[in-house]
Amino acid sequence: MTVRVRTLDDICKPPVGAESSLDTQEYLVNMGPQHPIAHGSLRLILRLDGETVKEVTPAPGYVHRGIEKMCESLNYRQIIHLTDRMDYLSALMNNWLVSKTVEKAAGIAVNPRIETIRTLMAELQRLQSHVLWWGVLGMDLGAFTPFLYGFREREIIGALFEETIGARLTMNYIQPGGLMYDIHADFARKVKEVLAYLKPILVEYDTLLSGNVILQERLRNIGILDPKKAVALGCTGPVLRGSGVPYDLRKLEPYGVYDQAEFDVVVGTRGDCWDRYYVRIEEMRQSIRIIEQLVDNIPEGPYMVTKFAAKIKLPEGIYYGHIETARGVLGVTIVSDGKSDIPYRMHFRSPNFNNLWAVTALAPGWRIADLIAIQSSLDLVIPDIDR
Amino acid sequence: MGLVTDRLPRVVENIPGGSILITSLDAFINWARRNSLWPLAFGTKCCAIEMLMATGAPHQDLSRFGAEVARQSPRQADFMVVAGAIVKKMAPRLRMLYEQMAEPRYVIATGSCAISGGPFMYNSYTIVRGVDEVVPVDVYVPGCPPRPEAFFWGLMTLQRMIREGESIARPNIRRKPVMAALPQGIKPEDFREEVRRLLEAENEVNVDEAAASKIWLEKVDQWMAKHLIKP
Amino acid sequence: MDGEALNQAVIALEPAAAKREKADRPAVQVPPEKLAALALALRDEPALAFDLLLDHTAIDWIAEERFELVYVLYSTVHGHYLMVTTSVPRGAPVVPTVSAVWPIAHWQEREVFDLMGIQYDDHPDLRRLFLEDEWQGHPLRKDYKDDHMLGLPK
Repeated sequence: MTVRVRTLDDICKPPVGAESSLDTQEYLVNMGPQHPIAHGSLRLILRLDGETVKEVTPAPGYVHRGIEKMCESLNYRQIIHLTDRMDYLSALMNNWLVSKTVEKAAGIAVNPRIETIRTLMAELQRLQSHVLWWGVLGMDLGAFTPFLYGFREREIIGALFEETIGARLTMNYIQPGGLMYDIHADFARKVKEVLAYLKPILVEYDTLLSGNVILQERLRNIGILDPKKAVALGCTGPVLRGSGVPYDLRKLEPYGVYDQAEFDVVVGTRGDCWDRYYVRIEEMRQSIRIIEQLVDNIPEGPYMVTKFAAKIKLPEGIYYGHIETARGVLGVTIVSDGKSDIPYRMHFRSPNFNNLWAVTALAPGWRIADLIAIQSSLDLVIPDIDR
Repeated sequence: MGLVTDRLPRVVENIPGGSILITSLDAFINWARRNSLWPLAFGTKCCAIEMLMATGAPHQDLSRFGAEVARQSPRQADFMVVAGAIVKKMAPRLRMLYEQMAEPRYVIATGSCAISGGPFMYNSYTIVRGVDEVVPVDVYVPGCPPRPEAFFWGLMTLQRMIREGESIARPNIRRKPVMAALPQGIKPEDFREEVRRLLEAENEVNVDEAAASKIWLEKVDQWMAKHLIKP
Repeated sequence: MDGEALNQAVIALEPAAAKREKADRPAVQVPPEKLAALALALRDEPALAFDLLLDHTAIDWIAEERFELVYVLYSTVHGHYLMVTTSVPRGAPVVPTVSAVWPIAHWQEREVFDLMGIQYDDHPDLRRLFLEDEWQGHPLRKDYKDDHMLGLPK
């Protein structure tokens, strides 16, 4: 007599194909724009067979404000404040993207102080965004406590932003030509205090949620995305890195002062929800590492190299710039006709728009509860999808 | 509760001394209602992070107001916090949610997108300029996004409106506390005096004197030297 | 591969392609009927291996009566970028779909159809994405008129 040990692999296989003897009928359920895990206003139309998802059709557009059309009547500095409102959890990185594309096209060179502060702010924002994602993932899966822990950390990092920038969420700080305000004299000291506070917190997160057997069963081997498919589906960011493809713009095309800091690109091995989850936890550790290396040596210099009121005209042409935000590669295509300081066409390649498409390939065959886990692991921010 | 609020007022009003009973009932019912307002979590954009999530979080605690039970279903919610921009595609759904809420229902429009369209007011082809074009709004909380403290001020204004402006004898008629936003220590009388004084003071101006004032000329020259684009 | 070598390699694959001037990355332009074959070749040719379609968008050159479609490609194998553009006349904007080559194009093309009105041949599901199905007109076109839009005050 043999005893068969049940492993996680055994129970986590997707229940593909209704093998029951019941005669079932498929039905459509609308996960409408307002529901608990909408993260905004995402509408998913599910075709279900019992509780198994057969097909997921996302129907976006419930927050489509026409930002790209608005950009055709605003100058570059005015567009920065609109970029905050796309993926608002990486607002500073969005600002940086447009700033650096405009600077490169217009030939404005910024000094190392500006680049260092931009890098520090971006990494702090990445920490803040991942901490919120972690809290919301716990909440989506039914554990409310991580939400409270995550927001506690978010407020502490947010206090840093507020002292320097004045805003908690929509920053409008990184401008073409430099920064809106200079950092205050205590900035480095306060950043180090926050980092010293955060390092044991990440250990606490692992103890609280990552090591929890329920979370592991809900995330391991669910929603496996293989690397070739991930690339073909246009995924970027932790979704792509969770599948094993080391595409991180901070390493491949260093901008800011990322080339002066040592950090690792975190990749997963299997491409399941757990890998996407743990890639982000490790990315938080890498962010802390980057900030530690940079915060003590902020060079001196002016915080703005052009005048605020100066018109920025780009020469005629088509420019594509991109940046690694907390969710993936955010890109911008600026088409300038060379005649004014207003772009002719501006298009944002948003990471969430492209990552959402992956849910149609990942979800079929799994149950509704797994769909929630998959969607949380993709870390979507809906206004970025709709722009 | 329906028996008390729907049928009782009409019965009691005609009894001598009935109005005293209604006033006491009002005080009690309004106290109960305003201290347990359950929000409907309806956030579309950035304001949702600040107004719905950050206020529920430990630093700014919404449960001090009895409002941390954010219901996902409109049928169980008391008030709707419209946090975020509403676009034309979403407007019918918003109206549907509002109509599904049980009376008495309140709406707080937070953030400039919900008040007037916000940063997307111009040149957007889908934005609804102000959620009050879709649902009746009780309290407006300006900001982009408003601080959680500003949201609490809005919530407290709503609580004051319920306390002072509602009666079960006149259901769904509210008196808005227009003067609720006055800072501490200022009375409406001071306000009237100040406005009057300002209007009278600026009633007369000596144009030649003002134009010839040196400070103006200096500043204008400075500005023109800085900003005028030389051909 | 660096910029010039990339341009040459693509032109060798598809003789109708030419360098697209005034772009900050290597860019080629092709006529629309050659697009589908070129897309397949760009993905499958081992020296090029463009497997990630980062972005797809369209530009309305109303003065020149044409739409220019832009595809931004990246190769995770070699690490190089390429922009492929194609122009279609404004009166009859029809272009073959590349969603068979890069599945993400399915959605990106729906967005361009919704906002610009460009028709994709053989697209599996061409319908509006962000706007309601009954919406008239394509907002990102330069001649889009809408009473609802409020212009900036003078």
